[in-house]
Formats: sequence, C-alpha cells, structure tokens
Amino acid sequence: MNNIYAALEIGTTRTVLAIGEAETGGRLKVTCHAEIPSTGVRKSQILDINQASQSIRAVLHEIQKKQEETGSKITVGNAFLLVSGQHIKTDPSFGSAQVEGFKVGAAEINEVIRSSRQQIVLPRDRELLDIIDQDYVLDNLGGISQPKGMSGRLLKLNTLHIHADRNRISDARTAADAAHLEIREPLFATTCAAEAVLEEHEKKNGVLVLDIGGGSTGYAVYCDGYVVSADVIGVGGDHVTNDIAHAFSTTNAQAEELKIREGSAILSDISGEGARIKVPGSNPLLETRTISRRALDTVVNARLKELFTIIRETLERDDLFHRLHSGVVITGAGSRLNNIDQLIRHELGTDVRLGRPIHVDGFENEANAESFAAIAGALLYAHRNYEEKSFLDGIFGRFFK
Amino acid sequence: MNSDSPMLLLGIGTSGCAMARGVSRAFGENLRYAMVDTDATTGADGGPFTLLGGDRLSGRGTGGDIVAARLAAEDSIEIIDEHLEGVRLAVIVTALGGGTGGGATLETAKHLASRGIPSIVFATTPFAFEGEERQRNARGVMSMIEEAANATFFTPLDKLVGDEDNMETAMRRAIDTMATGITLFWRLVEKPGYIRIDTERLRHLIAAAGRGRFAAVTVQGPDRTSEAIDRLIRSEMLATASAPVNSILCGVLAGEDLRLSEIGRIADGIRSAFGERLTFDLATVNDEATFCGRLSVVVMLFEASLNSEAMPSGVMSSRKPKKAKSPLGIGPVGRGRFNNAEQTIWQGEDLDIPTFIRRNVNLDF
Repeated sequence: MNNIYAALEIGTTRTVLAIGEAETGGRLKVTCHAEIPSTGVRKSQILDINQASQSIRAVLHEIQKKQEETGSKITVGNAFLLVSGQHIKTDPSFGSAQVEGFKVGAAEINEVIRSSRQQIVLPRDRELLDIIDQDYVLDNLGGISQPKGMSGRLLKLNTLHIHADRNRISDARTAADAAHLEIREPLFATTCAAEAVLEEHEKKNGVLVLDIGGGSTGYAVYCDGYVVSADVIGVGGDHVTNDIAHAFSTTNAQAEELKIREGSAILSDISGEGARIKVPGSNPLLETRTISRRALDTVVNARLKELFTIIRETLERDDLFHRLHSGVVITGAGSRLNNIDQLIRHELGTDVRLGRPIHVDGFENEANAESFAAIAGALLYAHRNYEEKSFLDGIFGRFFK
Repeated sequence: MNSDSPMLLLGIGTSGCAMARGVSRAFGENLRYAMVDTDATTGADGGPFTLLGGDRLSGRGTGGDIVAARLAAEDSIEIIDEHLEGVRLAVIVTALGGGTGGGATLETAKHLASRGIPSIVFATTPFAFEGEERQRNARGVMSMIEEAANATFFTPLDKLVGDEDNMETAMRRAIDTMATGITLFWRLVEKPGYIRIDTERLRHLIAAAGRGRFAAVTVQGPDRTSEAIDRLIRSEMLATASAPVNSILCGVLAGEDLRLSEIGRIADGIRSAFGERLTFDLATVNDEATFCGRLSVVVMLFEASLNSEAMPSGVMSSRKPKKAKSPLGIGPVGRGRFNNAEQTIWQGEDLDIPTFIRRNVNLDF
C-alpha cells in the first residue's frame, strides 16, 4: 500500500484539507482536496475555537463526500497542520564539533548536527516548527555544502530555527481535536509553499517566496540552496478588504467581492462607463450605487505598496535584497489579486512568477493552484520525511479509522 | 553610586563593562550602574560586577557562543534582578559579535520587558576586518534584540575610529567615544535644565522607538554652534541608513553661558539637515561646573515616530502624530475588523488601520 498523508490549513479566510498519496516512481499526488470559508479566525489566529472546529468539521465532511464520489474508503483521522501568522519567528543558531584527525568524516557531521539541535533553547511559550540547516563552516571557511573529506580542526553548522507561539498551535490542536482530527506535526506554511513551488536552480541563485495569505504574509529568502531568512508580517489580503470596506462604507462581504472582481494592485486608467463600479445594496432596501474605480485601485495599491515596501526595506537591512537573482515567486490566495505581479515587479524591481506546485501532482487543472502551494508543500514534507515503516507503525491505525 | 536613581546603566560583556566603567569615570559617583559578563577576569578592574553563568561556564567566557551566553544569562537572571529594584528605565551598553554581548543582552532585554522596564540598547558591531563570522553573529542577534528592547542604537566600530589607528588604540578609542556619548546622554536625563527630558519623559518617548542612530559632539569657541551643527551633519554615526528617519531627539548641554539664540540655531540646523517635517524633541542641560565654556550636542535619529503625545513639562515638539480620520469626515477611524486581534506595529505605525488613512492618500470618489 502506498503512503497516504493529510494536511490541514486553518486560514483567515478559508480552511483547506488535502490528501496526498505516494505514487509509483516516488512522486506525490494530491488525490483529494476541499476548502470552505473559515469562521472564528482573524489574522491567522483562532479567536473562536468552536467556530474554527465547525470549519474543520465542514471541510472533513466535504472531503468525505468527495471520497465517496470516487469510491475511496479513506477516512482522515490525522493531519499535518500548516501554521502561519505574525507570532512565528526565526532565530539563527549553530552547532560545532572538533574534527578528529583533521579530516571531516561522517562522525563529525553527525556530531555537528546533533550539537546544532542541542544549542536550540526556546522559552516555554514557544514551539519549534522547523530547523533549517544552512552552510557548514570549517575553521574560517564558510559556505560549505558538503564538508565530508575536507581538512580542518573545527566544524560548524549554521542553522535557522523557526518557532511559533505554543498557545496558538495548542488552540488549533484543540479545534481539530473537537472535530475528531488529530494534529500530527505543525509546519511553517511559507517554507512548505516554497518547497512545493521552487526549482532547485532558483534556490541556488537567490529567490524570494511571498506567501500572501488572508491574515498575514510570510516570506522566505533562499540563497545558495537553503533558506537564509524567513519571517511573517501581520498584513494580508484581509487588510485590503478591510481598507475597501472603510473607504466605501461597504460590508466586508461586498468589499471582498470588490477586491477580487474589480480591484487592481496598480492604478488603472479606465475612463467612460468603466470608470465607475456598481455596488449593489447590502440588503434589498438599499439601492445600487456606484464608486470610482480609480479610488478603489488607490486603496488597494496603497495597502499592497506599503506591504512590499516593508519587505524590501527588511531585505535591504539584512543585505539580502541584491541576492534575489531568480526574482520573486508569489503563492497564497492573495497572489490572485489583479495585477499584483506588476506591482511587485515595479516595487522590487525583479522578475515575478506565480508559484504553482511543481513537485506535487494533482493541481494541474486547478485554476488557482498557487493558493494551494502551502498545503501541497505540507504533503510533500510528509512524503519526504516519513518512511513507509514509520508510517505503518505510527499512523496507520490512526489514519484509517 | 546612586542606588535611588530610576535609571540603570548595565554594561554587558567585556567591552560593555569597559564602556560602563568609562561612563562611570566621566559621570562620577552618582551614576547607578552594574556590569555583567561570563568572563570572571572582567571583574578584576573593579566596580559593581556580576559573573553570569558561573556554574555553567566557570567564569571562562563563552568562546563566542551566543547560545551559551543566553543560557548563562537565564541561569543568572535572579542575580540581574537584584540590580533592578526601583529601576524605571534601563540602558544597556554592549558590543556585538562575540557571545556574551549578543546572547546575554538579548535575554536581559527580554527579562526587562517581562518586568515592564523599558530598555535602550547601545551596541557596537564588529570591525569589518574581524571577519564574516563575527559580523554574522552580530547581525543574527540584532533583530532579536530589536524585538525585545524599546530603542536600539547599533554603531559599527569602523565608524568610531580612524584607519590609521592600531588595534589597541582603535578599540580603546571606540570604547571612549561610546562612553563619552552615553555620558552626555546620561547628563541630559539625570540633570535636566529648563527644557527637560527626565526618566519618565524618556520612558514615554521611547515606548516604541525602534532602531535609531546616535551621535554626540563637544565644541567650544566663538563659532561653537556652527561647528557643532557641521560636525553632526558630517558625522559617520548619523550617516544615512536604508530606513528613513521619522523623528529626532536633540539634547543641548552647556554652562550658564548657553543663549536662547544658540538653542534655536542648533534646532534649526539639525531639522534642516535631517528633515523639517520630522517629529522633533529638544531638551537642554545647564551645568556650569561640567560644561563651563563648552557646548555639547547629542542627537538621536529614530526610524519610528516617537511617542510625542501628552507632553509634560515644557518639552518642545514641532509635530504631533495625526489621528486617523475618516475620509468622509465622520471622526476617528479605528482598526475595524481587527479591533480584537493582535496588533501589527511597524516603525510605530498600527498597520491594521487602513493605509490610505494613515498616509493621507486622497481618494477621488
């Protein structure tokens, strides 16, 4: 039997569940996925556990229905959890090991990896999401990807560890638990998305992945093949919606509709009939009115331009901006906003492409595949890191209830 | 030592302790200060010294290991606590690049924040010739310190010394320069003049000040005002960084001969050099015994807006932050649907408030 995994994303605007199965030949295929609007979540954080739990139940039900339609008997009992939000932080660290006989062997590499894990000490309110191995340093020579056989005295391994607020993850576990879904492992959504959409040469040349969600925007910078920096800014597509609702006194639902249907990240220059947009009344007693397209675009542009300026300034401060030779890859539901690629190209001065999952099959016919990049990456993580044996020993019984 | 002062100077690491000692020598017995390090030999030069992580490191230092320094500081947090009785504001001086300066500063700043004590960190970053690893150590911990502290001033050592200095002179000169600047800053707060900025005022101002740049000059003679302005404008320590400046805090320290016209010329000169429309706060010190015939000017540039609302006690400010207004003129606008969610603050701005309101973007309805 092939390995099967599930991943869950409790986002600000939508809750997504997907099932992936290892195919013959080693690739992973997403066999089923479902999404429903989220409730009880704001800025990527659960504010109402009952509502979030209902969203999880609903998406489980949706998956169940789709499974039945295809004749599958799989019932999802546990899932990897995607975590996003501005409570996520990254810290650099390193491990070190003395080199016996001045030639690096497997023992030294194992020791330096072990040491790097030991060095990470988190406060009690933080939970580790990931440890990213960066480069090895042998004496004063850095940037080494494979030190085996090299000569030196002291071997170091630089790492980046990603951690999150333990309470936020616990809330997600509680919500999932109430929906009879066990959370296996929390994963950082942005690096998951990046792993699903990036080519190896992009990681080596330097690339920025922007995962634009509803409540927050995560970014990860890859250089020389590994993550050199990652962070989350607490601004996402929901902020654009909120700005529109404020500017034009609409409901949030109307503002969301305006954003997706009519909004543009760059200022349009449409005159005549198209210069004004009809906004139906929010209830039957209110008449349809019109708003200026230029004003709508100005609101959207101001918010997104500010977000990309913050990211550019942060990368400039960390001396990373000039290293993005492969440009920017955008993922997440926010990447669907009209002309957002043009605005990024203008603000960051780099090439931009949409990040559709390329290392996972099953989203080829999905029009908005970039919004499933993170969930695809979570399944890819599971596929790459969990051997068949451990799968059978550890989760077989739980996964197939 | 004045243990009643609400402001504590804390030197962390070998260089941080040296800077704290320098301030103590210049300021005199009334300075409330403490020094901590993981290397026991640092304490041999006298002063109120505490060894960090004694059980863990046996007083031999961290060997450049930031994690070991963080653990040592955590081990010794109760000892640090003993210095914090009655402290309302802590100023940390340190040098980044090694272990203790970065690691122990981070843990101490976090601890101060957990106790509700605002902190200002003055830190040097390594010389370029010290190598990529030390630079990387410093860079890695800077953003974490920024999160924990209320205001940070990171000064590259290269900016403090000349190219012709030898190693020992360069290090001594760098420590002296930092100590002199911090001493002037200390006098500004501890011995306020007619336009005052005391500890409480400073606490309020720096609540979310973020990263800043800092320089101080001392001049004398008939053209002392022009010379001070000129030297500050040309100062490497205030040179342009990637982020724009949003606010300025300026201190003018002199003896009884300080004239109002001099204060006005300094304020105008600094504002025209760094931005007419920035938030500008000014404070003075009149101390004949210390400054007889001399004029010192301290300038702090902040990337965030200083918390200039609710001005007490005669501090001058040229601009107050604007309250967000509805474009329809229906009063203040809040955070809308994000009202109960965790705030997103960037350089002192609440990003949950619509951008077009904060930036006063004109909407052509």
